[in-house]
Amino acid sequence: MPLVADPDLSVVAALPSLSALLRHRAAVQPDDRAYVALSDRGREDAVITFAELDRRAVALARRLADRAVPGSRALLLFPMGIECLVAFFGCLYAGIIGVPLMVPRRQSARDASVNILADCTPRLALTTAELLSGVRGDLVGRFQHADLEWLAVDAQTGAIGAADLAQPQAQRNDIAFLQYTSGSTSAPKGVMVSHGNLLANLEMTRIACGNTRASTHVSWVPLYHDMGLILNALQALYVGALCVLISPMAFLQRPYLWLRAIHDYRAQVAGGPNFGFDLCVDRHRPEQLAGLDLSCWKLAAAGAEPVRAQTIERFTETFRSYGFDPQTMWPAYGMAEATLLISGGNRGEGPVVRDVSRAGLLRHEAVSPREKADAQPAVGCGRTLVGEEVAIVDPETTVRLCQNRVGEIWVSGPNVAQGYWQNPEATEVIFRARIAGEADRRWLRTGDLGFLDDTGELFITGRIKDVIIIRGANHYPQDIEDTVQDSHPALRRHGGAAFTILDEAKGEQLIVVQEIERTERHRIVSAQLIGRIREAIVLEHDIVPHEIALLRPGALPKTTSGKIQRALARQLWLTGALERL
Amino acid sequence: MPPANLTESDIRDWCIAYLKKTVDNPSIAIGPDASFAELGLDSATSVYFTVELEEWLGTELRPELVFEYPTISALAHFIADGQDGVADATGG
Repeated sequence: MPLVADPDLSVVAALPSLSALLRHRAAVQPDDRAYVALSDRGREDAVITFAELDRRAVALARRLADRAVPGSRALLLFPMGIECLVAFFGCLYAGIIGVPLMVPRRQSARDASVNILADCTPRLALTTAELLSGVRGDLVGRFQHADLEWLAVDAQTGAIGAADLAQPQAQRNDIAFLQYTSGSTSAPKGVMVSHGNLLANLEMTRIACGNTRASTHVSWVPLYHDMGLILNALQALYVGALCVLISPMAFLQRPYLWLRAIHDYRAQVAGGPNFGFDLCVDRHRPEQLAGLDLSCWKLAAAGAEPVRAQTIERFTETFRSYGFDPQTMWPAYGMAEATLLISGGNRGEGPVVRDVSRAGLLRHEAVSPREKADAQPAVGCGRTLVGEEVAIVDPETTVRLCQNRVGEIWVSGPNVAQGYWQNPEATEVIFRARIAGEADRRWLRTGDLGFLDDTGELFITGRIKDVIIIRGANHYPQDIEDTVQDSHPALRRHGGAAFTILDEAKGEQLIVVQEIERTERHRIVSAQLIGRIREAIVLEHDIVPHEIALLRPGALPKTTSGKIQRALARQLWLTGALERL
Repeated sequence: MPPANLTESDIRDWCIAYLKKTVDNPSIAIGPDASFAELGLDSATSVYFTVELEEWLGTELRPELVFEYPTISALAHFIADGQDGVADATGG
């Protein structure tokens, strides 16, 4: 594959900022469509060209500049659609640091964003006129604890003259936006992603994916999610391609709309978390897909949660008869701390799935299985990107490990973000790690475990950090445990543990174990209480626990200082040694 | 096939039968007065529940309905009450 096929792309690679990138696109292909938003029934709802996006971002930047000084933060609270991108670029043009957040779900009682607001102290909140009007729930009321000035991005007036289109000022080291996907509700961590980080990662992604102006994207992954924003929406803009947006809700309702859109727009790139591919198979109805031709699809990025061999197999089998090429599947690995993408395959090479020995993995080694029962399918997440280094490191000794040894995945490169917003301690630990006995290079600790094989393919085998990943969303055990303990007074404070087990058929599954107060042991009705806990977890976190077990008081293992030992609790659970009520 | 002349209890029965089939967890008792969240419907599965119900009824439903009427009873009552033909059939 030629690395630079289009001279335009070498111009782009040398740009100083993402703002300059949009300005460039508006200059060289003003009337090409940048984004199309589809309705919940799959019709074209809204369209914006590169020039129009540029103009609207400039107009918004002017409104922002009247209200906040550069470097201030602005919340971005948007449904899937073009307004979110106008707001994102408006902030970049004004030098305001955007903070994309999910619009709070109405049914959740507590507000997960309280601590995020306390952490980044935003001055502004940007949204749409519809959300601001309150017809879909009291958005402003949800944030009344913060002193915010609200702006509806689509309620803007006034024409933009040529004089307003000054050259964007941002430089590579300036922070472009904050991504809050790390840290629990009580201690959120905002990743500071700079213009330089974004441009570097977009270039790495372009090279791996072989994307060009013809690489139309279709995405249902929300724009507050880094995969939706960077791998889909911004990568398309980076190469000058069209990106078609479908709301996640419409996708959940009718997954075939996504496949239809890929067909209709002859899209080359469309991806999402593993569960999206499963959903397409589970809800597959041939009568909805008559005439569907997926042969245009070149890159089905799968990431944001562990990619499962079974999912790849089922999806490929189901959609092969619609022209889906098995080589299209593109499992990848990344995280916000590395802007987004850390590893991915090359276009057209197809996924790497190999069997490794379960017994070997327990010894932290990737070796071939001795027999069928010992075999565990492992899905490769591609290789290190151009310009980046990945090392496998013993997390205890920080010594570098060789090929086929399992250790923590460490990353170094221009895509590694600047650190956590106003959190130098965590930044030092996570972003500035050193490998024992090696020179001064600083590394990002991912908290994920994996190995590199002889060909340089990266495999993810586990996690040492406490995060729980379900359907591409990060959850923190302590948040779930708090929800459980708040749901009924009979449940012991600091007497619960949330962890996941790997279900062969369903992937990562949440288990909740919770101690009962001694005085309540004989008063409670277990089934009712478990129902109450399930309800609370679903409403607050939108995940369904695989199993909830009530334990007698004192059954959970704790450290001498009284902290719950989650890993040990999980071990006891798996061996059936936890004493249930 | 959208069945004609549905009563509130028809809708309730359909919901119970559908959820028994899809919830796939023997420890959860599917009753008309438990909340959908308690039955283990998250946003993804409740949205699909609405789609299936919509197809069976032959009318469009807003996906938010399951949050506004969060039990089988409340939802069945709302649908039976609110729809032409169906309301007649329930005597309401």
